[in-house]
Amino acid sequence: MSIEKTEELILNMGPQHPSMHGLFRMVVHLAGETVTNIEPKLGYLHRGMEKLAESRTYSQFIPYTDRLDYLASPHNNWAYVQTVEKLMGVEIPERAEYLRVIFGELARIASHQVCIASTALDMAGWSAWSYAFRDRERICDMYEMTAGSRLTVNIMRIGGMSAEPPEEFWPALQSFLDDTPEMLEEYYGIFFGNEIAMGRLKNVGILTKEMAENLSITGPVLRASGVDYDVRKAEPYSIYERFDFDVPVRTGCDSYDRTIIRMDEIVESIKIIKQAVRDIPGGPIMAKVPKVIKPPVGEVYHRVENPKGELGFYIVSDGTTKPTRLRIRPATFINLQMLPIVAKGWKIQDVVAIFATLDAVLGEVDK
Amino acid sequence: MFGKGLLQGLGITFKRMVGPNITEFYPEEKPNLPTRVRSSMGLERDKCISCNMCAMACPNSVIKLTSEKNEANKKVLKTYHMDVGRCLFCGMCAEVCPTKALKVTQEFENAIYEPEDMQWDMIKRAERKGKVE
Amino acid sequence: METLNYLLETLNNLFLIIADAIRGLFADPQSVWANLTMNVINFIIVVIIVVLAALILILLERKVAGWTSQRPGPNRLGPRGWFQTIADALKLMGKEDVTPAGADKLIFKIAPMIIFCLPMMTLAVIPYGKDMAPINIDLGILYFVAISSISTLCFLMAGWGSNNKYSLLGGMRAVAQMISYEIPLLFSLLGVVMITQSFNLGVIVEAQGTIPFIVLQPLAFVIFMIAGLAELNRAPFDLVEADQEVVAGPFTEYTGLRWGLFFLGEYGNMTAMSALAATVFLGGWQGPAILPGYVWFFMKVGVMIFMMMWVRWTFPRIRIDHLMHLAWKVLLPLSIVNILLTGLGIYIYRFVMGG
Repeated sequence: MSIEKTEELILNMGPQHPSMHGLFRMVVHLAGETVTNIEPKLGYLHRGMEKLAESRTYSQFIPYTDRLDYLASPHNNWAYVQTVEKLMGVEIPERAEYLRVIFGELARIASHQVCIASTALDMAGWSAWSYAFRDRERICDMYEMTAGSRLTVNIMRIGGMSAEPPEEFWPALQSFLDDTPEMLEEYYGIFFGNEIAMGRLKNVGILTKEMAENLSITGPVLRASGVDYDVRKAEPYSIYERFDFDVPVRTGCDSYDRTIIRMDEIVESIKIIKQAVRDIPGGPIMAKVPKVIKPPVGEVYHRVENPKGELGFYIVSDGTTKPTRLRIRPATFINLQMLPIVAKGWKIQDVVAIFATLDAVLGEVDK
Repeated sequence: MFGKGLLQGLGITFKRMVGPNITEFYPEEKPNLPTRVRSSMGLERDKCISCNMCAMACPNSVIKLTSEKNEANKKVLKTYHMDVGRCLFCGMCAEVCPTKALKVTQEFENAIYEPEDMQWDMIKRAERKGKVE
Repeated sequence: METLNYLLETLNNLFLIIADAIRGLFADPQSVWANLTMNVINFIIVVIIVVLAALILILLERKVAGWTSQRPGPNRLGPRGWFQTIADALKLMGKEDVTPAGADKLIFKIAPMIIFCLPMMTLAVIPYGKDMAPINIDLGILYFVAISSISTLCFLMAGWGSNNKYSLLGGMRAVAQMISYEIPLLFSLLGVVMITQSFNLGVIVEAQGTIPFIVLQPLAFVIFMIAGLAELNRAPFDLVEADQEVVAGPFTEYTGLRWGLFFLGEYGNMTAMSALAATVFLGGWQGPAILPGYVWFFMKVGVMIFMMMWVRWTFPRIRIDHLMHLAWKVLLPLSIVNILLTGLGIYIYRFVMGG
């Protein structure tokens, strides 16, 4: 049997494309429908975050971190303020730590809901998309009543939290926690249990354990490849060693496991929030920090487990009110390296699905 | 097996189809926003002591204010401008205000037609409203 | 009771009475001129059905999309948003008509016109009521399938003529998909043809007086539904216009009313396919005599269309290799098995009845 050689089709997907999650662009080389090569092109959302930090004071940069991974903004706040606190050696009050954990895990749930929703949407599962977003709105409501904003919450400050949650926050949180099993059942029924979705995702885009480790993939994408690694367990920050939770690991290495592992993570987050609500002490929510923040000369790196993976901040201080250098280690920017390697040999449809399972947020990728 | 998941999905959507709507009918029914929502800023001129803390806290230097000394040698606010085109609505200015003269307000219908309208004269806005909510 | 029965009878035959009255205006009711006039009137009625169906269905699609995601759907224009489609149509008319510079202009312009003609041609052979088929031809089913498969060509023309890579991919997908699904579609209809011994849609409906064929041919109905969805490029088989992959496939470069024609064609084809399903499997205009026949017919068509929309807003899109596997490895063998079983059933029936 002879194979006729046909001309390669170069297709430019993005930055304006329905399934490119923001302003991502990839040049896809096609043989028929099969992808032979992908060249990711980044930088359409570059705002120069690291340079901006050098001309802002330490406190002034907090609202900017919201705009990195805008689907889980409390996490970015958290990573940044903890880095500065580490540099200054500030101890923050117990209640603030617990509140940070509650909001961090809420942000993890919200971000994973968006991931499930957008994966479904990239496969034209409209209803699954709208149901996941509907439930995420309740988390946004909780942000709103506490911090005053729905997306870019700006909820943490160096030394604690910006505000004490109001009275109506706790019943809202409790009812959300109670409804979560029903929500997850619904996502499963409409999307993960659907044979068409399974056919689209199962055994597609295999990222083996070795590949994942070599590419320094982090977060749910790594854990879906069978590596038990989570910063919350590996290097517990904040008060995570006090909570009893598991790190969900799946060994399918395919798109399906990369998506459904987020359902498992939502269950674990619910567990953590329940424990935090049970144990939360009273007291102040702000430590005694000077009005003008002047960390000592030095440098520090700190990392947290963002919903998408490992988020790190590296700060060099020269003792003034502004950082000399601030470097962000975004999770999805590094996870995105797997796309050209994994997607090769699959169809265009599968590339869209594989890209969706990475849960890339371009605010974080392009910084 | 094959087909069960599909039927389950159809069942879920049918349940939602006959179930209640969750839409907020926005222009007819105004949402009742929590009091912490920072959709715009409101200034109470009398409370302001022109300390310039808000301008210093702002990450984007949105706020420009001038003041003059009165006969009792106290600073009195003269002008207060916000360039909301650059504003992040992070609320840091309201947070640092020592007298709570600058507050976040829940007035969220901020759409405008002309770029010049993004220069807010906060004193005029306060007078137009009569009071700060 | 007598008057009520008379009233129903009149209602049932309302259109036939009107047709007879029009024919009565001519000196010779069976002359060439009378036939020509009736044909023109029939044509106009079919056009009205297509346009009305598109007007209603576009709104209904958006309403169903809203209801599944717990929204009310369009609700601004008119009572509960019922004038939304009119506003949409006006907007489309007001848009600039762009033909891309590199396009194959003739093919680009012809494609939407042809696709808009197809539902009119197919809907012309459907019996809307007793003796109410605009054109009554003996090979009705064959004609219907033959005409509806021309839409493949339109998608390819639009995809090729647009000179756009996304459109080309969409057009290629259309050919692969629609030709594959033609075969199970036709085979699933053969069972019914074997029972009735006729390709005439009118005869098929008459045969369903006691029992609709969905009861005798449930497997064929399921195959017909799946193949019909694929034939219409409806979700979950909408690979041709897959928004998330090839943006809008063949329609990417179309603007304004040309795009609107594609839209009308899509909904017209959907109506035609539902009408065929209602005619062949659900008993067409047959139904309890509490309502006129044509009302029963349109109710059945409505149910079929609602099913299609419900499926569309529930399921994710299928993968292209699974699509092909489904057609060639599942539906085709199943439809052949169905034909075999039908043949056996007819043989046994005749044997038992001593025919």
